[in-house]
Amino acid sequence: MTTNTQASQKLYYEDVQVGDELPKLVKSPITHLQLVRYAGASGDFNPLHTDPKVGEMIGTGGIIAHGMLIMGFVGQLLSDYAGPTTLRKFGVRFKGMTRIDDVITCTGTVTEKYEADGEARIAGKVQAVDQNGDVKVAGTFIAALPRRS
Amino acid sequence: MFDKSKIGHSFPPFTTEVHRNKIRELALAIGDANPIYHSREAAQAADYGDVPLFPTAPTMFSFWSDLQRNGELAKIGVNVTRILHGEEEYEYLAPIHPDDVLTGVTTIVDGKSRRGKNGSSMDIITTETRYTNQHNQPVLNARTTLVVRE
Repeated sequence: MTTNTQASQKLYYEDVQVGDELPKLVKSPITHLQLVRYAGASGDFNPLHTDPKVGEMIGTGGIIAHGMLIMGFVGQLLSDYAGPTTLRKFGVRFKGMTRIDDVITCTGTVTEKYEADGEARIAGKVQAVDQNGDVKVAGTFIAALPRRS
Repeated sequence: MFDKSKIGHSFPPFTTEVHRNKIRELALAIGDANPIYHSREAAQAADYGDVPLFPTAPTMFSFWSDLQRNGELAKIGVNVTRILHGEEEYEYLAPIHPDDVLTGVTTIVDGKSRRGKNGSSMDIITTETRYTNQHNQPVLNARTTLVVRE
């Protein structure tokens, strides 16, 4: 189902440096079944994500994946790295259509360490690309990390 | 053409209940095998009090519970059959737990029309949904940018 690295240990603020790369997440090829399943889970039943006839009709050349599925892959990257409850902000811009059989790789880099609202925070940028290196989503995140002391 | 006088317009509030099974369903559809999303027991074994919110779980609040959304957009003149998703951003203000009951209010916070090189025009509209929990505590802001082709 997933080819990510092992589940992350707890991440501490002191252990993170600006410039650190998040452990890369390589997803399994996207299947039609996955899009049907994602439609049901998310509640986004727009048929251009599930019905090949609609994809042909509106000129996307077959069905395209939900952008939010790809954002979900990046969400998994962040969850694996810092844990879900550390996130303070997570945003992406959708830059390209994703199709069945595409293999998405998610990466990220820490760009900042700072304190705000009494929390030790890191900020970073993230992106998801396909097997050709075409960017599908690009975005940023902020997470609040525990301190060792 | 987007009607700029609609900036600041809010839609009627909606409520959504946070369900463990829906968080698991979303994680499974995404292909995240992390057990913390799959059962309370596994989450507790990993030092979470309960199943945590998957980072993109708020998309379910919108699609499953803000059922009036497209109708409200249509009312202010948006052609909802021509929408593409441009951007999505979540600001997590406080923890959200299973069984919480959230109230969301969606507001049009920005909008503009752009003309493309070929003369076609598109509208770029940003909505913000502010969620509070059953204790009236702000817990999440979700910003969505929609691109509406002519």
